[in-house]
Amino acid sequence: MNVKINEDWLAVIIAFALLILAVVGVITPAWMKF
Amino acid sequence: MTTAKVPAKAQSSNNLVGFLVGLAVVVVLAFIARWLKIQVYGTNLPLGIPGKALEYPLWAALIGLIFNYILKSVNVYDFIKSGFRTELFLKIGLVLLGAGISFKVIVTAAAGAIIQALIMVTSVYFFCWWLSGKFGLPDTLRAVMSTAISICGVSAAIAAAGSVLAKKEEITYVTALVIVTALPLMVIAPLLAGLMGLSEPVAGAWFGGNVDTTAAVVGAGTMYGKTAQQIASIVKQTQNALIGVVAFLLALYFSVVVEGKKERPSAAVIWQRFPKFVLGFIVTSLLFTFGLIAKDPGAAIAAMKDWAFCLAFVCMGLELSASQIKKMGWNPIIVYLIVTVFNTVLALIVSYLIFGWLFPAKL
Repeated sequence: MNVKINEDWLAVIIAFALLILAVVGVITPAWMKF
Repeated sequence: MTTAKVPAKAQSSNNLVGFLVGLAVVVVLAFIARWLKIQVYGTNLPLGIPGKALEYPLWAALIGLIFNYILKSVNVYDFIKSGFRTELFLKIGLVLLGAGISFKVIVTAAAGAIIQALIMVTSVYFFCWWLSGKFGLPDTLRAVMSTAISICGVSAAIAAAGSVLAKKEEITYVTALVIVTALPLMVIAPLLAGLMGLSEPVAGAWFGGNVDTTAAVVGAGTMYGKTAQQIASIVKQTQNALIGVVAFLLALYFSVVVEGKKERPSAAVIWQRFPKFVLGFIVTSLLFTFGLIAKDPGAAIAAMKDWAFCLAFVCMGLELSASQIKKMGWNPIIVYLIVTVFNTVLALIVSYLIFGWLFPAKL
């Protein structure tokens, strides 16, 4: 199956996935230091 | 049937390998850009330039440009270019940026940003349309160029091209022009703003109004300061939100006036072309405003936002294709440069009046 997703929505999904991981503590500030 | 399937499969796995290698290259280059930024940050450079003035967008774009040349020289560029995703990384960064901005700030800045966007988009669009007509450019190129320069570079160019059925070369050409002018502006605009002593909200609004592509707007804002980055992003996203309206009006004009058709394009195009990531940006800002993002996760999200932007700036350098520009001759370049100067001066006046006087953003 070939699923096509709009890049805007893909960006929103990825950003929210990252946000949730940060909120539940999987991604920590020390780990992500820029 | 079997013989037809095997090459298709091989092609698809080849594409996946190319994409993954491209992505890996972008990540490695982003690490190098970050490393360079850290090395230079605390030092004083020749001519008295403080190291901290050279923020990561500059290093990332520079490294991207250098590797753009290297990858093309060793003939691997085309194989891995599907991993260079400027727009995707930028949009992820913008949604994450929302998680650090109070919704109050967005509402305050949006009032000024909407007025500024309406003034800038209409003035710059029609000036570019008129000037490119005087230089004898084809209508499709005029539409793509006017939309790109008045709204937001690459994505606006693509949206306009869809509405007016522009040639593929016209899109790649305008895209190349956008990046070639936006990269130096990303560095020059913050320096000029510093020399003029602009406050961060005014400078941010200026970058948002005059730099053509969203990535470079964020880059210029980042180099000037945190508030400038926030205001620049809000102003640019407000402008981006007009893409759908312009795409619809263009489709209507070309269908009815240029092609003389009776049927009208559907207004649904306004929603189709609307940049949906702006909705994500608003939702993350609401989460932040209602206190749903605590201090530690907030710091992690801010760092991820910087990584996403850094990846976008690396891709911007990697995606530059100057060879496209040579193909179309001097007239479009002259038009583009004149309109860029017009855009820069007008945006400075408008952002000063709106963000310095009419709606001074208090952050």
